[in-house]
Amino acid sequence: MENRKTIIGKFSLLLILILLSILLYLYARVFHKALDSGIALTMPVAMRILARSGTSLLGMVVSATLIAAVSLAFQTITENRVLTPSMLGFDSVFLATQSVLVFFASTVSFMGKLFANPYYNFFITTGIMLLISVMMYSIMLRKNKNNIAFLLLFGLILSSIVQSLTNYIEVLLDPQQFQQLKAVTTVSITNMNESVIVIAAPAMVFLTFLFVKRSREFDVMQLGESNAKSLGVPYIKRVNQTLILIALAMAVTTALIGPVTFLGLLSVNIARELFKTYRHKVLFWGSIFISILCLVLGQGLVELLRYATPVTVLIDLIGGTYLIILILKERKL
Amino acid sequence: MIELKSVSQAYGEYAVLKDVNLIIQEEKITALIGANGAGKSTLLNAAANLIPVRSGTVLLDGENVKEIKNIEIAKKIAILKQTQHLNMRITVRELVSFGRYPHSKGRLKKEDERKIQEAIDYMNLEELQNRFIDELSGGQRQRAYIAMILAQDTKYIFLDEPLNNLDIKYSVEMMLILQKMIKDLQKTVIIVLHDINFAAAYADEIVAMKDGRIIREGKAVDMIEKETLAEVFDHEFYITDVGSRKVCVYFQPEMAKEK
Repeated sequence: MENRKTIIGKFSLLLILILLSILLYLYARVFHKALDSGIALTMPVAMRILARSGTSLLGMVVSATLIAAVSLAFQTITENRVLTPSMLGFDSVFLATQSVLVFFASTVSFMGKLFANPYYNFFITTGIMLLISVMMYSIMLRKNKNNIAFLLLFGLILSSIVQSLTNYIEVLLDPQQFQQLKAVTTVSITNMNESVIVIAAPAMVFLTFLFVKRSREFDVMQLGESNAKSLGVPYIKRVNQTLILIALAMAVTTALIGPVTFLGLLSVNIARELFKTYRHKVLFWGSIFISILCLVLGQGLVELLRYATPVTVLIDLIGGTYLIILILKERKL
Repeated sequence: MIELKSVSQAYGEYAVLKDVNLIIQEEKITALIGANGAGKSTLLNAAANLIPVRSGTVLLDGENVKEIKNIEIAKKIAILKQTQHLNMRITVRELVSFGRYPHSKGRLKKEDERKIQEAIDYMNLEELQNRFIDELSGGQRQRAYIAMILAQDTKYIFLDEPLNNLDIKYSVEMMLILQKMIKDLQKTVIIVLHDINFAAAYADEIVAMKDGRIIREGKAVDMIEKETLAEVFDHEFYITDVGSRKVCVYFQPEMAKEK
């Protein structure tokens, strides 16, 4: 039971750090916002800033949680420890779908309505993403599970194709539509799509619950397909279900804060290093906590030091470096 | 009892199993032999319901496996493929504990702990139980996997080329353990073997496959015979007796012709 104690200890430490970084973030927001705008910091002003920051904070927690859970589940079903859905271009697919929707909206008025309503829009994009990710899995991922270099290349090509497609469509749009599209697709951590948060927050709770509930099966699935089947896990069915959940969760975070490529990779791997276990129950919560910590602490620091770049750029910088180290290490093994 | 009734399987247009009928003998080692691509592994997978069959039925204790839940099948049949690279760092004991999953769904009870300990003791893994799997030699790792299957506590054990990448000492040790398991624990073992001499020395029954069909089956002593093997493998064999065992020599085809 010694083991259990250290795990609880680590979780408490993470929790304390998260609380501290939330305080840091709120402090930075309230004081710097007031200073920058030159308004005297009275109670009502502070409350207004706090309320706004609260929404951003919620958005960050939702995205960070989903990104971490998705990355861990994805690594288990694809049997590797390097790739995450964002690295394979899942989020660029989301953005491309948005552009295609806007483009067709200009020709078919019925589509315009679908695009304008944020909820319909969200469900359609998610549905298309689901289709594409299941196709991607059955065509590419299943056969090339251990070939990380190949999969990365595939992700690179997919995202650049999809990005060029997006660019091309953007050229075809008239200025008004272009504005419309940009409003939905240029979301980031500092510029969240707050209308989505009403769906995103409950969706996060629900999806996280579904992922964590399957922890024990994920443990078995980590032994590989044939062993998992031999132990009675309906492997293919579970993989497909997990893919659906992953596509849903990716759609939610991308709609909310846009693409964050390396957060999942960082948090899952830090969790593996920190907890040194294969048990998904611990790893899921561990990576979720770490992911939230990275995002909130990072954003808090950025606001405190008043850098103009959002924290995601910083995370991608560190995450990218880490990825190169990981690949070099895997090569050696 | 496991019974295959006119089972066929195909990958796309290419038929891998053609109308296979087989009753697996209880408490025996049955060796599946045949050339590459003869359908041995597919037969094993189909019998364990790892892949759904195109047509025909597989009966497990009289029930169609398609109608049994995966987790219930996992309490009766354990299948081990050639040892793969594991993507996780776990100790021998943790690996063996996974064998209890079909029974405990991951929540280990007293009974499960006891079975795990028994499996570890049976495979002589006490000293290794806290070592990580990736630190073990090939033979030790194979023993750990067999211990996992023992902990799974199934009547049927299917092994797909378990001797691959094992040196002679470990291969022999593995086969002796299987023989012992049948005697002590009343298991039924079906094993895909590449080396005909291992089948000759340790199997009770031999099922010979060629082009997706079972072309011969019978007691091992009757099966190790010049004409049969020549038909199965398309290769000339020279069979000799060493002590009470039959040994097949296949290295020099001209030697078989001389005799």
